[in-house]
Amino acid sequence: MHEFSMTKQIVENVLREARKHNAKKVTEVHLIIGELTFLGLEQVRFSYEVLVKETMMDGSKLYIEEKEGAVRCTKCGYEGPLNYEDDPAYHIRTPTLLCPKCQGVVQIIDGRECTIRSVKLVV
Amino acid sequence: MKAQLKKVVEAEEGEIYDIELDTDLLKANEELAGKNRELLQKYDVLAIDVMGATGAGKTTLIEKLVNALKVKYKIAALKGDLTTTIDAELISRHGVEVVPINTGKECHLDANLVKKALQKLNLKNINLLFIENVGNLICPAEFPLGSEKRIVVVSVTEGPYMIIKHPFIFMDADVVVINKIDLAKPMEIDVKKLEKDVEKINPNAKVATTNCRRGEGIGEVITALGL
Repeated sequence: MHEFSMTKQIVENVLREARKHNAKKVTEVHLIIGELTFLGLEQVRFSYEVLVKETMMDGSKLYIEEKEGAVRCTKCGYEGPLNYEDDPAYHIRTPTLLCPKCQGVVQIIDGRECTIRSVKLVV
Repeated sequence: MKAQLKKVVEAEEGEIYDIELDTDLLKANEELAGKNRELLQKYDVLAIDVMGATGAGKTTLIEKLVNALKVKYKIAALKGDLTTTIDAELISRHGVEVVPINTGKECHLDANLVKKALQKLNLKNINLLFIENVGNLICPAEFPLGSEKRIVVVSVTEGPYMIIKHPFIFMDADVVVINKIDLAKPMEIDVKKLEKDVEKINPNAKVATTNCRRGEGIGEVITALGL
């Protein structure tokens, strides 16, 4: 829902970094976006194309790695993917904070990131 | 799609540099939220974030909570909205200071806006702060503000599936308020089913059922908040 403003921040950060290195052009941008964020990858890509126009990022390639969500159980120490409850009646899988192993309560440890991993510049 | 993180510099046109940035934009908000929290703790202010869809009853809930608690606590509120100060005025008529935050086009409050709003309050004079987020069940979940507790308000008029459709915001909730229960019957909503949905997604959350307009269930909310 806020892909445009997040992508704007991404582009601004990359341009700042590129200027710092006196770059002529940015050729690649690598992002990591967590599965548990509300960032739709399709909308991020679309916003990116719009935002890089007429900047030194125009024509750059955007690589997005989607990071899976992960949790840690406060009771049994389980670390891994979230528990999803299947509800065939609604065709949805509801994520829950219940530990898939012991039914204890888990904390989210991964999947909420929106990281600019690296960029490639032509200097 | 998996990214191919190229750490080796490849020769293309001109000289090419690979720069590792590892800048997490959401982390930046989280860090700022942490600073807000430190500031609030320093002044012994308990901040409560109130989230929920437009029309769920967030402002009415805050009004009733302010009324019930203003003898016991020194209260202020931050009121996020895209535009207008309508809700801020509704809350301030109960005799508490309200800082309206207009986000313009943004769908949520963020820690930076809250930081700016906190500068407008004399934190020495308050010990309880309500932060009403922009009406939205999606985006606010992504941007912690630095509050100690989070309430999510849903109303039965939003239909029977709003909880299972928006699991992530409920994962962050300490208290879930199911509002407008007086309308459950005409809306043909099973309130017990909604309570079960919350319990399934977040077993830690406390649930209170209310009719905020008439002030019913406000005591339950206060108990759930431990106030």
